[in-house]
Amino acid sequence: MDTASFRFVLFGLTAALLSNLSSSRLWRSTVLLLASMVFLGLLAPIPLLFLPLTEFLLLGYGGLVLLQRGWSKSLVWSILAVVLAYVWLKKYAFLPEGIFLHSPYFTVGLSYIFFRVLHLLIETGDGNDRRHVGIGAYLLYTLNFTTLVSGPIQRYDEFAQDQFAHQPIGLGPRVIGLQLERIIRGFFKVNVLAMLLHAVQEDALAQMSQPLPLTLKLFSAFRLAVVYPFFLYANFSGYIDIVIALARLMRVRLPENFDRPFAASSFLDFWNRWHITLSTWLKTYVYNPLLVALMRRIPSLALQPFLGVFCFFVTFFLIGIWHGRTSEFVIFGVLQGGGVAINKLWQLGLTHWLGRKGYKVLANNGVYIAFGRGLTFSWFAFTLFWFWANWKQIGRIATAIGIVEWLGVWLAIWLCATAGLAMWEGLRTALLSIKTAEGPVLTSRYALVVYASALGLTALVVTLLLDQPAPEIIYKAF
Amino acid sequence: MTPFNAGNPEDCQEKKLPPRDWILLPLISLLTIGLLAGSTELIARRMFSRTGTLYDCLVLNDPSTGTRGIPGCVSREKIEETQPVEYRFNSSGYRAETEFGPKSPGTYRIVMVGSSFAMGYRVPVEETFAARLQAELSQRTGLRTELFNEAMAGSGGSPRSVSLRFKDALAAKPDLILWILTFWDVSHVSSIMPEETPAGHETSIGRTRRLVKEALARKSIVEMVRDLSDVPLKVVRVRWEMTRTAFLLQHFLNESQSQYLRAYLIGSDSNNGFLKTEPSAEWQTWLRQSDSYAEELQARAAAAGVPLVAVLVPDRAQAALISMGAWPADIDPFKLDDELRAMIVRHGGIYIDILSGFRNIPNPEHYYFPVDGHPNAEGQRIISRLLAEALTGGAIPALKVAAQSPAAKDPDR
Repeated sequence: MDTASFRFVLFGLTAALLSNLSSSRLWRSTVLLLASMVFLGLLAPIPLLFLPLTEFLLLGYGGLVLLQRGWSKSLVWSILAVVLAYVWLKKYAFLPEGIFLHSPYFTVGLSYIFFRVLHLLIETGDGNDRRHVGIGAYLLYTLNFTTLVSGPIQRYDEFAQDQFAHQPIGLGPRVIGLQLERIIRGFFKVNVLAMLLHAVQEDALAQMSQPLPLTLKLFSAFRLAVVYPFFLYANFSGYIDIVIALARLMRVRLPENFDRPFAASSFLDFWNRWHITLSTWLKTYVYNPLLVALMRRIPSLALQPFLGVFCFFVTFFLIGIWHGRTSEFVIFGVLQGGGVAINKLWQLGLTHWLGRKGYKVLANNGVYIAFGRGLTFSWFAFTLFWFWANWKQIGRIATAIGIVEWLGVWLAIWLCATAGLAMWEGLRTALLSIKTAEGPVLTSRYALVVYASALGLTALVVTLLLDQPAPEIIYKAF
Repeated sequence: MTPFNAGNPEDCQEKKLPPRDWILLPLISLLTIGLLAGSTELIARRMFSRTGTLYDCLVLNDPSTGTRGIPGCVSREKIEETQPVEYRFNSSGYRAETEFGPKSPGTYRIVMVGSSFAMGYRVPVEETFAARLQAELSQRTGLRTELFNEAMAGSGGSPRSVSLRFKDALAAKPDLILWILTFWDVSHVSSIMPEETPAGHETSIGRTRRLVKEALARKSIVEMVRDLSDVPLKVVRVRWEMTRTAFLLQHFLNESQSQYLRAYLIGSDSNNGFLKTEPSAEWQTWLRQSDSYAEELQARAAAAGVPLVAVLVPDRAQAALISMGAWPADIDPFKLDDELRAMIVRHGGIYIDILSGFRNIPNPEHYYFPVDGHPNAEGQRIISRLLAEALTGGAIPALKVAAQSPAAKDPDR
C-alpha cells in the first residue's frame, strides 16, 4: 500500500471509524495497535523482514525499563546502543560494508522510531517524566501508523495525553468536516500537485543533458532548481496533512510539521517553519544541551553569541546528514548548518553595526523581508541538489552550462523568488482581509467546501480514472 | 517536558453547526462539482473537436483481404489532436493521390506495406513519410524512385493482413518491398478485423452485470473480492473515457516526457510488454506468430526475386526512452528491434535500423500526437530522413551503388 494513496486514506478512515465505536481507552488503543500491525503487514507481508526492527524496538524498550527501574547510569549506554544499532541498520556509507546485514529487512519509519525511542530514553533518564511506559504503550507510541512512515515526531506525553485520556478529545461535525477537508487537501498535494511538479522537474533534468540551444538550457536549469522545493513541500506536507487529519479523527492531536515555510524571511526562520518537529527535536536534544555544555566550559560573554552560531551549525549539520547515508548528505548537512550559521552571524553583525533598534527597523522593512525571503528560498533550492541528486547527476547538471550562466540562473532565481513570493504574500493578505463577522471569507466553511470539492474531484479523476502514478513520499526513505 | 504545538486548540471547542448548513454545505459541494465538471467538459469540447471518420472508406469485414480501402473513396476525418485530414483512396484501394500504373523503364519502385504509421494516419498525404521518402530517395540516390504505399490502418496492417494482400505488392513488380512494422502490428499479429470489445455496445447496467458475473466466476476468493470491488470503478471509467475532459487531461499529462513514461511503463503488458527485457508469455506467442509470417512473406518475396526489407518504427514511449538514454533495469527499448532483426535475417530478409537515430533527437515524443500516439507531420519527416539514411547506407546494394554514382553526388545535375 502506498503511503498517501486512496487505499491508505480509506484504511485510515476505516481505522478512525472503528476507533470511534467506543470511547474506552482499551478499545481505542486496541484499534490503533491492530491498525498499525495491519499497516505494517501491508507494507511488507513477510514477517521475517521485521526481525531487525523488532530487535531495535526491544533494545530501546530494554533501555527504557532499566531507566524506569532507576538505573540512571544506563542512560548513556542505552542511547549509545540505540544510536549504533540505528546507524548499523541504516547502513551508513562510512561504515565498512562487511558488517551490515545482507538479507533484506524492513526499515521504513526507522528514523522516526529512532527519534521517538531516544526521546523516551532521554526524558526518562533525566527524570523529567515519571510516568510508567508499559510495552503496550511503547509499541503504540513507536508504531502508531499515522506517524510511522514520515512523522511528524510526536512527544510521548502529548501522545499519551490524547490516546490514554479517560475522556477523549471532542469530535463533532465541524472538526470532522475540517479533517476531511485537510485529508482532501493533502491527497491533492501529494497525488496531483507533487506529481505535476515532479514531472516538470524530471523533464527539466532530462533536458539538461540534451543538445538544446543555450536559452532552453538556461530555462531548464531555472526550472530544475525552482520546482524541487515546491515539489518536496507538496509531497511531504500533503502526506503530513493526511496523517494529522486521520489521527485527529482517531482523537489524537499530532504536532504540526509545516508553517508556510516559503514565507520565511531568513534561513533561521525557515527551519522554524519546515519539518518543525525534526528541528524542534534537534534543538531540544542537541542544540540546547550542547550550548549549555559549551557555555559552562567557555564562560566568556563575548564568545557566547559565537558558541550559539557553532551550536546552530552542529544542529543543522546533523539535520542534513540524518537525511541520508551517503557523502551527498554530508554536503547537504554542511550547507544547512552553514546557511543557518551564516544567517546567525549576519544577524549578529548587523546588530553590532546598526544597534539593536536599527537592526529591528531593518528586519521589519518590507523590501528587506522580500529579498530575505527570496534569498532563503534560493539557498534552500541550492542545497536541495545534494538532497535529491547523486554526485554523477550533480556533475552532469553543473557542467551542462558554464559558471557564468549558472550565476545568472541563481541571480534570476533570487530575483524571481523575491518578486513572486512577495506577490503571493500580498495576494494572500489581501484575500484574507475580505472578512465577515465570522472571520475571513476564504477560510469559512462554505469556501472550504468549495475548495475541497474541487480539489477532491480533481484528485480522484487524476488518481483513479487517469491512473497517473505520483512519486512516493520522499521522506519515507529516511 | 517542553510542550510541542499540539494542533489547533479550536478543535477542542466545537461550535455547533447551524441546521441550514446540513443542507447548504452538501448543496455547495454538489454545485461546485457540477460546475467544475461541466465547464471543463465544455472547454474540452471546444479545444478538442472531432468529426468524420476514415472508417467510412474502409471495408472492415472481408476475411479474404483483412481491412482494406474502398477504391475511389474519399473521407475527411478530424480527431481531437489533429487538423482535418483527407483520406483519398486510388482505384487499387490504397491511400494515394495517383494510380499505381505500370513501371516505366529506369524507375526504382518500392512498395511499402505496413499499418497506420506507414499509411500516414492523422497527417495529410503529402506530409506522410511515404511521400517524403520517395522524394528523399530520389534526391539522395539520383535514381527515379517511386513508392507505392500499400499500408493500411488498423488491423489492415497486421502481419496476417499484410500476408493476405501481399499479392498486390508483388503484382506491382517492385524492386524492393519495404515492410514497416510497429509494436502494435506484432501484438495484433493475427488480427484482420477490428476487435469487437464487449464494452462497445453495452449499457452501464449491462456492463455492471457482466463484470459482476466475471468476478463471481473467479476461483480464488481474494480475486473475487478484488474484482467485485473494482466493478464500480470500471463502470465509471468506461463512461469517463467517453468524455472530452478525459482526453484534455490525458493530452496535457502526456506532454510531460517523464510523467508520460512513468504512466506508460506501469500500464498494461499488451501496450508496453515489447519493452521488457523478459517478454511475457503472451508477447513470446505474438513474436512466434510474427516469425512465421515473416518466414512466409520472405519466401514469397524471394520467389518473386524481390528483396524484402523490414524496419521497426518506434512508438512514442520507445522513442522517448531511446532519446533519454536511460531506462529501468527491466526495460530495453531495443528489445523488439533485436527480436525482429533476428527473425527477418534468419529467413534471408534484410533488416534496417532506425531506432538508433532517435538517440540524437531531443524530446522525440513531441513528434507524436500525445494521446493518439501516431507520428505528427514533423515525426513523419524525421522517420522519412532516418529511413532514407538507413536505405542508402549500404544495406540495399542497389540504392548504395546509386548513392555513389556521380549523378547523385553532383548537386548541379
